[in-house]
Amino acid sequence: MFSGLRDRLQAARDRLGASIGVVAARPQKPEPDKTGEIASAETPAAKNPTLTDKVRILIIDRELIVSEKDVAAALDELEMTLLESDVALPVTDALIADIRAGLVGKHRKIGESVDALVVGALKSALLKILGSGFDLTAYIKTHERPVKILFTGVNGTGKTTTVAKIGAYLKNQGFSVVIGAGDTYRAGAIEQIGVHAERLGIKVIEHKSGADPSAVLFDAVQYAQAHKTDVVLADTAGRFHTKANLMSQLDKIRRVMKPDLIVYVDEAVAGNDAVVRAAEFDRTVGADAIVLTKADMDSRGGAAISIAHTIGKPLLFLGTGQAYEDIVPFEPGTIVEELLGGGTV
Amino acid sequence: MMDTLSNSLRDALKKLAGKAVVDRAAVDELVKNLQRALLSADVNVKLVMELSKAIRTRSLDEELPKNTNVREHVLRIVYQELVRLVYATADLKLEPQVILMAGLQGSGKTTTTAKIARYFQKKGMKVGVICADTFRPGAYNQLATLCAKINVPCFGDPASTDARKIVKDGLVAIKDLEVIIVDTQGRHALEPDLIQEIIDLNAITRATHRWLVIDAALGQQASEQARRFHDAIGIDGVIITKMDGTAKGGGALSAVAETKSGIVFIGEGETIEALERFDANGFISRLLGMGDLQALAEKVQEAQVASEVDMDAMMKGHFTLRDMYKQLEALNKMGPLKQIMNMLPMGNMQLPEGVYDVTSTKMVRYRILMDSMTPQELDDPGIITSSRMQRIARGAGGTPEEVRELLKYYKMMHKTLKGLRGAAGGKFNMQRLMKRFSGMQ
Repeated sequence: MFSGLRDRLQAARDRLGASIGVVAARPQKPEPDKTGEIASAETPAAKNPTLTDKVRILIIDRELIVSEKDVAAALDELEMTLLESDVALPVTDALIADIRAGLVGKHRKIGESVDALVVGALKSALLKILGSGFDLTAYIKTHERPVKILFTGVNGTGKTTTVAKIGAYLKNQGFSVVIGAGDTYRAGAIEQIGVHAERLGIKVIEHKSGADPSAVLFDAVQYAQAHKTDVVLADTAGRFHTKANLMSQLDKIRRVMKPDLIVYVDEAVAGNDAVVRAAEFDRTVGADAIVLTKADMDSRGGAAISIAHTIGKPLLFLGTGQAYEDIVPFEPGTIVEELLGGGTV
Repeated sequence: MMDTLSNSLRDALKKLAGKAVVDRAAVDELVKNLQRALLSADVNVKLVMELSKAIRTRSLDEELPKNTNVREHVLRIVYQELVRLVYATADLKLEPQVILMAGLQGSGKTTTTAKIARYFQKKGMKVGVICADTFRPGAYNQLATLCAKINVPCFGDPASTDARKIVKDGLVAIKDLEVIIVDTQGRHALEPDLIQEIIDLNAITRATHRWLVIDAALGQQASEQARRFHDAIGIDGVIITKMDGTAKGGGALSAVAETKSGIVFIGEGETIEALERFDANGFISRLLGMGDLQALAEKVQEAQVASEVDMDAMMKGHFTLRDMYKQLEALNKMGPLKQIMNMLPMGNMQLPEGVYDVTSTKMVRYRILMDSMTPQELDDPGIITSSRMQRIARGAGGTPEEVRELLKYYKMMHKTLKGLRGAAGGKFNMQRLMKRFSGMQ
């Protein structure tokens, strides 16, 4: 994941660097008519700077200002890049605005590297959006057991598989886990989680198909309290945020089992709708962290940026394949570093 | 979010509304808004660029058809270009066939398989299903449960891990059935083993159709995935699922473009009946977040053929009662005024309440009155004296007051057209016209 985005960002970075580099090259030619615009950009009050002023700006201060015009073309290209990488349109707009703000009006000493300036702007914009990540292990250690985690999301994003993977991950970390088979709606869902749990040696609390999911998950919590289990993983049926009855069912689940964490699961290949539904889930039942699945489908990771920006919640894990170990804790710092690989700032 | 987008699209269209000539800047703005609408509906970026280029060129180059304003002209081009992309309806015959389902993990293949089985069953075909998903736990269980509900035989073996063998055995076991649907495991293009598996399954089944199931929320990745699936097994139809959410399904558009196939079905719900044949018009309207575009495009076309209102002469001030008659006739052919106004995506055009009804009934009266006039009177309304008014009213079964009102309306129209010609450089402003209308009552 993210490799596509990295290549594209590299191209955008070169382009931005080049367009700022052009500005840097320009004033060194002693042509008064060309330097005029740069001078006026810095001192808008003085419409007709004297020759002395110009000389002072060009030679003594040796400092340049990046103007909006210089980066416009490169930012347009970056915008397309982000859109092609599945960053939703409103999020792209916000990112571009951030980067523009980070570049335009920046003073740059002649000796300073253009690239550093660009990378700095990109990095701060991305980090601002991706936040600081979420350490599940530390969270469980510092909270009262059992820690109850509820998984939500629309249909087919991979909630059940994610529950199994996180179960395996936590078990490897030495925690005891119980899974609540809260998807009582979809045919075969209880069997699916049952098989996963059996393979992993994790206890599953299940009722019959069609049962009230709140009751199932309540029982799972009861079981955990009685058996001093560390973590309850509560699977639920996929539901669309447009279905009011299903959303209120989820709200009931939340009231009954009182989860410590609500994890919203979506897929990394989702496009613009990722933003709409994440916002809606966050609004109706809340979300504390995000898991992005199917990150191995050569996606550019745009959905990660979109969702994180929309609901402002940290990313917990990335699902990267079909095996139980295909789950990676998400570390924004590392990701951004990787995206802008070899940054000099 | 989508609302603001379609609003800005409407605003851009509105700017075109008042123009008599295609204005490059306005078209550019419209195209830009259109791009944004399409991009946020997840249509492939390259596809959007090609589309907007075609729309820009056609809008600027093609001659403005008679009796069409610029907005309608551009809107029709937008519609036509979009339809061109999705119009290829995938072929679906009620005859013995084998259908192979393909798609990414979690796109809804199994649910859709059951829905399609139900579709053919309702058409009176004998249907059977083979579950070739040997990977996901509970997959066979899910399909068998769904099939049991509709009494469709489901072949499979949850204990086996050999999809090829299951399919071979399945084809023998249910060979008497007419329609056989093979559900497969979810896979994506970067899993070579699984891609090879579906190539083999395609060879084993000698499938009549290979349908790609696409989640409506799938983003830019749709193009690439569809291309790889197409390279592997030759996709000949696309099914969009989960259209009951808020996703616009633009990814499916990319898939269709990539596979040069059509959209067969749209899934919009969790029940087994929630499957519909694809309707290009509804899909495009949803994509753009705008009203019924097709109806508009067709109505404008019809009306164009029917009437020959001489706009040029009108603009030059040669506006006679005869012209007004034609104009009213044209409006009548397009249906009640209110309906037309509703069809035009002009957003929040401010029209006084009740204007529509009164004017449309009046228009009918006006036409009856004009039917009772002589050709001379129609060409030169100035000759209508009070005795002529008496005669016209009697002929039309009305009163002289009505004739006076008609003449007043004609004068107003005449003045409006003249005024527009002078003030706005030949721009025909419907909105101002409507305001004058309302002043009449």
